[in-house]
Parts: sequence; structure tokens; C-alpha cells
Amino acid sequence: MDIQKIRQDFPIFQKRQGLVYFDSACTTLKPRQVLEAQRAYNEEYSGCAGRSAHAIARQTSDAFEAAREKVAKFVNAKPESVAWTRNTTEGLNLVIRSLDYSKRNKIVTTKLEHHSVLLPIFEQRRRGIATTGIIETGKDGVVTEEACAKAIDRDTALVAIHHTTNTTGMRSPIEKIVKIAHDNGALVLIDGAQGVPHSKFDFQKSGADFIAFSGHKMLGPTGVGCLVGKPEAFENLDTFIVGGETIETVEMDKVVFMKAPKRFEAGIQNYSGAIGLGAACDYLSKIGMGDIEAHERKMAAELIGAISSIPGSQIYGTPDPAKRCGLASFNLKGVDKHQVALMCDSMSKIALRSGLFCAQPGMESMGAGKGAVRASLYLYNTPEEIKVFKDTLEKIAKLGS
Amino acid sequence: MLCYVALIVLGIMSLFSAKYRPLFKRALKCVFLKATLRPCDTGLDEELKAQSIAGIMKISPKAASFVNRHFQIFSTLFTITFFLSMIFTAQGLYNFYLYGNCNGLEGGFCIYSGIIGNNPSLLKPPADLQGITYGNQSANITVVEFGCYVCPYTRAAESDIKSLLAKYNNTIYFVYKPFPLPGHNNSKEAALAAYCANEEGKYWEYRALLFDNQQDVEANGTAALTGFASRLGLVNFTACYSSGKYMPEIQKLAEQGVSCGLYGTPTIFVNGQAFVGENAAKQADTRIGQLLSK
Repeated sequence: MDIQKIRQDFPIFQKRQGLVYFDSACTTLKPRQVLEAQRAYNEEYSGCAGRSAHAIARQTSDAFEAAREKVAKFVNAKPESVAWTRNTTEGLNLVIRSLDYSKRNKIVTTKLEHHSVLLPIFEQRRRGIATTGIIETGKDGVVTEEACAKAIDRDTALVAIHHTTNTTGMRSPIEKIVKIAHDNGALVLIDGAQGVPHSKFDFQKSGADFIAFSGHKMLGPTGVGCLVGKPEAFENLDTFIVGGETIETVEMDKVVFMKAPKRFEAGIQNYSGAIGLGAACDYLSKIGMGDIEAHERKMAAELIGAISSIPGSQIYGTPDPAKRCGLASFNLKGVDKHQVALMCDSMSKIALRSGLFCAQPGMESMGAGKGAVRASLYLYNTPEEIKVFKDTLEKIAKLGS
Repeated sequence: MLCYVALIVLGIMSLFSAKYRPLFKRALKCVFLKATLRPCDTGLDEELKAQSIAGIMKISPKAASFVNRHFQIFSTLFTITFFLSMIFTAQGLYNFYLYGNCNGLEGGFCIYSGIIGNNPSLLKPPADLQGITYGNQSANITVVEFGCYVCPYTRAAESDIKSLLAKYNNTIYFVYKPFPLPGHNNSKEAALAAYCANEEGKYWEYRALLFDNQQDVEANGTAALTGFASRLGLVNFTACYSSGKYMPEIQKLAEQGVSCGLYGTPTIFVNGQAFVGENAAKQADTRIGQLLSK
């Protein structure tokens, strides 16, 4: 894996010399291949799919469905398992808010989840539709098999859990959780926003019923994402947003909806985004997710080492780099989180995120209730950038000493 | 605190460049929230702090650490200083507009004068007291006015000149030196006519008519000037005026004004200290008061 060659694919590195982009958990940079795929759609065949019969509409339909196939292949799922959404949040909402809770009404989750998981669950609870169960996690943010077994029971309709958290970069034991859930007759929804982009994910092998993820966190465009689900699991979901293309027939007193995933794709879709995401899947696959994961693991070790070496630093979650993707949240003693992030930007063009990362309960449970700084890496980051990051942090840390 | 400063600075910069307008809007929101006793949530204060500390760090990490520790105090002091300097700047500009000097009637060094190249403190006092005189020749205070009878600013200062002469009478020695401005019609002719009136002891009356009928003088020249002489019953005026016998003196005094560095009328020297503009007589009045109180 030639990082310098990869970096040449990202126009932003040429346009912003010296940029150290450590905010890929928020959104990733876009390679030329993705931009070109979107440009081609917008300039050469900007039609709508599945409706009109003219040439550019047919070309759009073909490209749109080809993108679905690429995404399906990327996570080892069948194309008919892939429903387009706007983003991970929409996919998570779709499942949590559309699932049938008439026989079982408990939704199990952890405090570590992104608000996109927690808030739809809390909304179902507020409406009296579902109850909640929490898988307890320690201050280290580790999800254990025992805690899962304790929280998941026969009343559980759905287990909604992260593949990888956006606060620590740590992974859940997905396959073990799926087994416990299925043994109890519950469905499993995975928040794959931080997992799918950074590791080889096999949907069929995982056994999960649903996984939601976003295009923009895996080199694709913003405004497009996917909900991947087992066909039989989709049958448990009621309609969500309805409109054009979701139906077989409409009469004034009777509506017959299409099968999933089309049932969940109301209205004109984000064709440019979907095609761009397809191109992103091609790009990542060509490099190889195994190599990307290995690169990130190596970089994670350097990142953790760099932050740990700063006097007064505190990293949240387990310090073991092997259990993380290239992401670390931390604080420096005596220097405000936002100041650290802003100064890194001002001094060395390092893009970081600071705050609670849309995961307030999770941050509080790890003792970071006032927020932290987050550095999140991807395939285009280099050890030299981590050196720049370390040098800058060392200077900033002295402000608090 | 810094968002108050940012609001002013970015507001001005936004007038000239659209790229500062989003920042200005954030500063405006921040100030509005603070004014309504709510916390500022725009992050602007944090950004300004981080950029300030980062900037200082490039020069001295120790200084950055010190400023960071006491940032609240520094930002408060900076904000107070900024607004005080804004007030003083506005006051100075107001004085400069009104009195031609940012110190107002007090006079003295004024940076705006330096910026636009007109600085009364750089004017050289005239070498002699030749001209039309009034008051006590042996007085310790001499007041020399360079003026132009068809200059609106000299006319505007005239009522203050009259008050000044009435107030100090014999405690000063007043000298009027004509400085006919070439930009005004009939300025030299008016100076000549005033000299001729002076010859017959009617200078101050004639001078009053000149200022009271300034537009008439500038438009009609000799006809107007002769008319004033008739009204005052000057018998030798026409002969004096036609001969132009005072023209060499007027020319000499005008050259003297140029060598003094004059850039406008009226210019009044009080014991050598110059005041320029329509409020020059007011400033001169203040200066005379100071000199007499010593």
C-alpha cells in the first residue's frame, strides 16, 4: 500500500499544502475517482432511475443499480439487501422506528452509542412504543459478552449497537452479540458508520440483521448512505417514508407496497451520491480493506504512543491499539479541548474535532463529560503527520503545565 | 470579551470584503447573546483565543503560556483599551474636523495633521509684524492673522476675531497680513481696497463690509469694492485703488505667508504658535488666556 500514491488521488492535498487531516471520523476526504464518477453523472447522463425510458434515464438506472451491487459486494451482501438512505442516521431511524414492537418491545443498546442510535430509541420510549435495556460498560468503554448476556432477554425485540465507536475507535464483539441476540429471538442492528469504512466487514458472516453506514465516512459523497438488511429482517419493518417508487399499485382505498429495499426508497434518489459511493467502494476494494485495516492499526499504535508521550494527556478507552481503529479521543491537562483543536489548526494545519462527538452519555460514562479532542485517521494519513501532530501537541501541552 | 472588539473590527473589514461577513455575523450574534445575558455559543471567542495564543507561541512559548494563563485579564484589558482608543480617536477626529487639530482648542501635536501633511506645529512664525495693526504695540502677546477677504473660513473666523480683540484689547498686539488666495476671484483686489480704506482710517468698517458681502466681492470685484468705499464716504479710495500702490506690500506679505509654510486661511500665530482654520481664533483665544494666566 503506497500512501504517497494514494495521497495523489486526493485533490485537497494539492490545494491545501500542509494539511494534516485527522478528522476522518467526522467525514473523509474524497478521491478524484469519486469526484469523477459524480461529475460524469451530473454532466453526461443526469437522468432519473426506474421511471423514464429514454437513454440517459436508462443509463442512470444502470449506474444506480451498479452502485448498489458495488456496495453489496463491498459488505458481502446481496444487492436486494441494500436500501439507499441519506446517511447512517436515517438507516438507524428507519429500523428503530419502523420495527414491529407488538410482540416484544425492548430495545437493548449501550451508553456508548452515537446520538443517532440513542435518540430514536429514546423517542420510541417516550411514545410508549418500546422500553430500553442498557448493556453496561466500564470506564474503559469495553463491551463484554457477559454484559450483553445480562441485558438481552426474551423481551428484547432489537439490539442496536455500534460496530466501532466514534469516541474511542473501539469495536464491539459483533458476532458474539449477534449470537446472544438471536438465541433470545431478537434482531440486531449495527451502527456501521465507523466500522464499515475501516475494516473488512462481511454482512453475511456477521449474522447481523441490519447494518447502517454512510458514504461520506468511506471516501464517498455526503448525503448518501445504506441500510443493509436480511430480506426476512426487512419484513419486520413497517413503511417509513413513502412516496414515488415505493409501491406496486395505488388505489384510493388500497396500496400495495414493493418489497424491500425499494419499499424504503421513496422519491427521487441521490443518484450522484450513490454512484459516487459505488466508486468509493471500488477505490477501497482496489486498495484492499485488509491492507487499509493493517495500515490503520499501525497508525493507531503510533497515534496512541504520540498522545501518551505528552505529559498531562489522558486517552479515553482502552490504551491497547490492537483493539482500536485509527482513532483516539483525549484531553490535555489545563488546556481546553476546543483550544487544543483550534491551536493545532492554527499552528500546523491539523484538522481535529473537539466536543462530545454526538455521544454525550458515552463520553460521560468514560469520564469525559466535558468533552475531548478527537484525532481520527484513514488510509491517507502518514507517520510523518503523526510526528507533526505530536510536536504540536507538545507545545500546546506546555500551556497547561 | 474579544467578540466586542471583533464586532467593530470585522464590521469595518466587512464593508470592504465579503469574506469577513460570516465572521462579522458570528461576532454580532455573540455580542447579542452576551448583551441579553446568555452565553456566547458561536465559538468565536475560543477561536480568537486559540489564534492569539498560537500567534504568540511562534514568538515565545513562555509568553504564550503566561498569556494563556491570564487570558481573561488580558482580553478584558485589551477590550477596554480598544474601546478607550476608539473613543479618543473619535474625539480627535471630531476636534480635527471642527478645529483643524485633534486636541481641539488646546492645539499641539496632532497625528492627523501629520497624516494629511498639514501640521500647524510645523509652520514658521512670520519674521516681522508688518501689516494692518491694532492694539498695544508694546504688549507681550502678538497675534498675527494671515487671512483672505474672500475666503469663507476667514469670514467664519471673523466674529471670533472681533470677540478676541474686544476681550483682550490693549493686552495684545494684533497684526493682519493679507494672504490673497489665488483660487478665489478678486482676492488681491479686496486686499488692496482694504489697504486703501485703512489709509482713510476706515479699515475695520471696510473689513466688515468685505466679509458681510463676500460673494458680491468675489463676483463683482472692483464695482463692489468701489460701492463699499462710497458707502463709507472714502474720498481718496478710487485714486488709491487705481494706483495699486499697496500691491507690492500685499505681494510681499503673501510671499512671507508662503515662506511660513501656510496651507490655509485663516492662520493665526499667537506668540509664534500657529492655529489654522475657521476655529483658529477660538484656539488663539484659549492660548492667549493661558499666556496671560502665567
